[in-house]
Amino acid sequence: MSNLRYLIPYLRRYRWSLLAGLICAAFAASVSALGPYILRLAVDKLATGQLVLTSILGYGVMLIIVALADGVFRFIQRMMLAGVSYRIEYDLRTQLFAHYMRLDQAFFSRNHTGDLMARATNDLSAVRQLLGPGLNGTATAVLTFLAAAVLMLMMNVTLALIVMLLMPVTTVVFVLLGNRMRTAFTRVQDQFGVISTRVQEHFSGIRTIKAYAQEDAELAVFAAENERYRELNLRYVLLSGALWPAMTLCLGIVAALVLLVGGRLVVAGALTIGELVQFNAYLGLLTFPMIMLGWMVSLYQQASASMGRLMEVLRYQPAVVNPPDARPLPSPRGELEFRRVGLRYEEPADHATTALFPERRAEWMLRDLSIHVPAGHSLAIVGATGVGKTTLVNLLSRVRDPDEGQVLLDGIDVRTLDLGDLRRAIGYVPQETFLFSVPLRENVAFGVEGAHDAALDARIEHAVTVSRLANDLAQFPDGLDTMVGERGVTLSGGQKQRVSLARAILRNPPVLVLDDALSSVDTQTAAQILAGLREVMRGRTTVIIAQRIATVREVDQIVVLHDGQIIEQGNHSALLKLGGQYAAMYRRELLEAELSA
Amino acid sequence: MARGFDDDVILGKAYDGRLMRRMAVFVVPYWRQLALALALLFGAALTEIVPPLLVLQAIDGPISEGRLEGLWPIFALYVLVLVSNFALRYTHNYIINSAGQSVVMDLRKQLFQHLQRLSLSFHDRNPVGRLLTRITNDVDALNEFLTQGLVLILADLVTLLSIIGIMFFLNWRLALISLATLPILMLIVAIYQRMMRATYRLVRERLATINAFLNEQISGVLVTQLFGREVTSQRHFSGLSEAYLQANVRSLLIFAIFMPTVQLMAAIGTAAVLWGGGYGVMSGWASLGMLAAFVLYTERAFQPIRNLAERYTILQAAMASAERVVGVLDTTEEVRDPEQPVTLPQPVRGEIRLENVIFGYDPAEPVLKGINLHIPAGQAVAIVGATGAGKSSLVGLLARFYDVQGGRITLDGVDLRDLRQHELRQHIAAVPQDPVCFSGTIASNIRLHSATIDDARVRWAAEMVNAATFIERLPGGYEHEVRERGANLSLGQRQLLAFARALAFNPEVLLILDEATSSVDTATEALIQDALERMLQDRTSIIIAHRLSTIRHVDRIIVLHQGRVVEDGTHDELLARRGYYHRLYRLQFAEQGLGVAEH
Repeated sequence: MSNLRYLIPYLRRYRWSLLAGLICAAFAASVSALGPYILRLAVDKLATGQLVLTSILGYGVMLIIVALADGVFRFIQRMMLAGVSYRIEYDLRTQLFAHYMRLDQAFFSRNHTGDLMARATNDLSAVRQLLGPGLNGTATAVLTFLAAAVLMLMMNVTLALIVMLLMPVTTVVFVLLGNRMRTAFTRVQDQFGVISTRVQEHFSGIRTIKAYAQEDAELAVFAAENERYRELNLRYVLLSGALWPAMTLCLGIVAALVLLVGGRLVVAGALTIGELVQFNAYLGLLTFPMIMLGWMVSLYQQASASMGRLMEVLRYQPAVVNPPDARPLPSPRGELEFRRVGLRYEEPADHATTALFPERRAEWMLRDLSIHVPAGHSLAIVGATGVGKTTLVNLLSRVRDPDEGQVLLDGIDVRTLDLGDLRRAIGYVPQETFLFSVPLRENVAFGVEGAHDAALDARIEHAVTVSRLANDLAQFPDGLDTMVGERGVTLSGGQKQRVSLARAILRNPPVLVLDDALSSVDTQTAAQILAGLREVMRGRTTVIIAQRIATVREVDQIVVLHDGQIIEQGNHSALLKLGGQYAAMYRRELLEAELSA
Repeated sequence: MARGFDDDVILGKAYDGRLMRRMAVFVVPYWRQLALALALLFGAALTEIVPPLLVLQAIDGPISEGRLEGLWPIFALYVLVLVSNFALRYTHNYIINSAGQSVVMDLRKQLFQHLQRLSLSFHDRNPVGRLLTRITNDVDALNEFLTQGLVLILADLVTLLSIIGIMFFLNWRLALISLATLPILMLIVAIYQRMMRATYRLVRERLATINAFLNEQISGVLVTQLFGREVTSQRHFSGLSEAYLQANVRSLLIFAIFMPTVQLMAAIGTAAVLWGGGYGVMSGWASLGMLAAFVLYTERAFQPIRNLAERYTILQAAMASAERVVGVLDTTEEVRDPEQPVTLPQPVRGEIRLENVIFGYDPAEPVLKGINLHIPAGQAVAIVGATGAGKSSLVGLLARFYDVQGGRITLDGVDLRDLRQHELRQHIAAVPQDPVCFSGTIASNIRLHSATIDDARVRWAAEMVNAATFIERLPGGYEHEVRERGANLSLGQRQLLAFARALAFNPEVLLILDEATSSVDTATEALIQDALERMLQDRTSIIIAHRLSTIRHVDRIIVLHQGRVVEDGTHDELLARRGYYHRLYRLQFAEQGLGVAEH
């Protein structure tokens, strides 16, 4: 069954507006069918010579009154029917957004932003097109056709049947041509995609092309792709070029037939000249609605496919949700525990496996991993890229859930806690900082609910001081009120990280997670920040992922991850004594410092 | 396809003579087709004014006189006119689109050719997406201008004028009466267009705002979730959507008022014709048939007026696109072929000399500060140094992706700038740091689109670099499909393909940027090393080395530090010197021995 059935609840919401619109459409159709009737009365009087000048004026006024009434009804019809289409578009759009906000990271890593955007734009607009112009056009077409049919049948059945049977042929021709055009156009667009990809690839790899002096060969390939595009386009034009001329031809033939048959009827005395004029006028009245009906078919097909894509998203259930009987956590202490945690790789991504002969990728990323951090203590996690450090700390704020084992906060499994409370308890500074296109101040105060007052300003002041963002404020034109992003300043990597840090500090969380959060900050500033943080974090729990040993030296507990296991664990001096990977990393860092000196 | 979500075109002038002349160059070769299309269109416009005349004839002639047989010729003529109208319009559509497609194809090829000739510094500055928009969307806008804009405006004018002409020819008094409402109608259309343009801009702006916000929120959804701001975001989004809704309702309101107004004007026009015509019939200066014909003509005069207003927007968009296309075509290349190119002495040996080479991407901050080097033909050299020492710039200069700002570089004694780039790059090949793959097949990734490399050579190259084993295991072997950016190949596989490509082209001088691929497993690493060693044999090679094992294959090591050559010699000599190389070696390579992955 068509996906469009999902629209029914939305339509029901606006049933009264829809009803009013349809009633007006019926009135408008009836009234507009009266116009040609008035024309006929006037012509017939003229033909028989019974007319006086004042009564012609009377018919003229009647024509204008009919047009006025028609106009009023059509106005209401449009405002109601098309208005509803915009409202339903609004409802769907906001619902889609709310749903996006609830979905988990697994969903977002599987679906490209471009695709999600396309659903919220192109697909939504296809659905609205059906509800707006589509519904409005169908109502007008069907009702006008009915009204005209009644009046035509009353005059002359033969001529009426000619019009009623031949006019829909136009619709059929439109649909048939339209369907074939769509197939041809899909090919054109596919080829357009090929060209776009070719350009994209070519200029992304321009170094290679230039390095091997392959410009001419590439141009030849590009020219061939373009030639194919041109051919497909011409094949499409062969159909599309015929569409409107064919419409004109079909309608013209009906008009010619009406003239021929009607003329004979007039001569035979079965029809008056006025009635012939009236028939002609109906042809004009029905032209647009008949073509519209043909267009409707393609609108319907597109909207149905688009609604399917929208429902695909709307019916996706996020894996991480607030549990139904969530335990509140009003005042967390910050004791953390990973208990025999196991994590599988996410569904294998499409790209870049690392081995030359990729075996089936090892299923487990981390397994049987246990770490305990008492409240107020600090933990550092080090290890090579891709070993699973970020994924591990992501479990804390339930960006995803473990595949095995448990993660506990204050001894309670995080999956049973109220999601809002849990995330409030954890200040997370992610590896990839994300700033919104709003002023710096709002970026810092992003996680703060409630009023923005002087007390908040003082807290913001404090947060930017600790994160050493304050050092750079003078560089920005409006200090903290400087706009971030395309329409404002572009921040350096280090500055972004410090905004991100200030954002987390401001939340005043009992647990602070820094995922390689100072990687773009220079060593000296990083040291200052860490010193300031120690003050802030006194009595709170800290988890740090770091590439630089300097950042983790003073941490209570350091964990070195390798191949999904903890291979070294202890504090700085203990690990140095061990002389393993941690010690090697440390030596390397010292050397590096020496070299750049 | 790749239409941006917020590339709201700011529309300006609808006509710009300078741009038109620039674009005319592309149109001129097809002037015959265009002239024919135009003639066909005029013919079609003329056939469209015939049917009301036939109605007039029928009513005033056979129908009024009661001559049944007189209707047949009129009907036959009517059908003939209809069929020829169809034929004329259809042929016109086909010819004009065919010309348009040819123009667009030429323009696209020209743009492509020009863009690929531009120097790498241009490509460094301009993201690929922007170039893509020029070649696709902007060029298409010009096609629309040609097929939908210019020609149809002329046709609309012809239709309108011939309708007015024939009306006056038939009956000047009725013509005046029916055309009385026309100026008012034009005024209404003009007002409507103006209001609609403003409102439509508002609609687009608000939609762009929604989409920008949506895009940002999808990208930053994790932050929003972690900071519990879902509801605030939703509220904000609802506000934006509400504003968009309001703008849409406003445009709906304008449209809903406009359409009935036009209908009303048409009714007034008909009433006027009826009144004037009725008076004329009674006074004897008009006939019933003429009355019917005038009602039909009044209807037909309206369409071209409405079209003219709509086509204006197409013109504006086309001008904006033309501006951008011309902008690209006017960009000059920074690295150029000489007026009188020198050819390399044959056979090319591959001796390289750098004399006092100075270079910086920003001339104020040189990266290379006076490099002097002599690399004899056939020598394998490794260049090492810390990040930012200028290693990659050196390779860029040798392949002449950039030009030196001071000093000179020679190949077999000829200054690189005296050679045609095409010739130079047949002898010097650079294997880029990131192994680039293109969509196509394995074979097409090795030979690119070169016609001179046959299948046997592709296989030979693959075997030389140890790639043949994995290629033969792939379904389809050398014809195995490679997806965009080589997404279905592993990093190691892509690296070996890049090597095979370099060997297939068999250059005398090979430049290799050897990326430290920490994420490649040890088995693959061994294969890569083995391939590297074979590639270095019997040719001048310069390797930017990141791996200890790579260093072992070369004859000589050059150490760059802050844009200068600080040490030069063999591995053992330099280690014995216990200088910069010694420290660098310990930093970069010592740990590879320890088996600790890099990060």
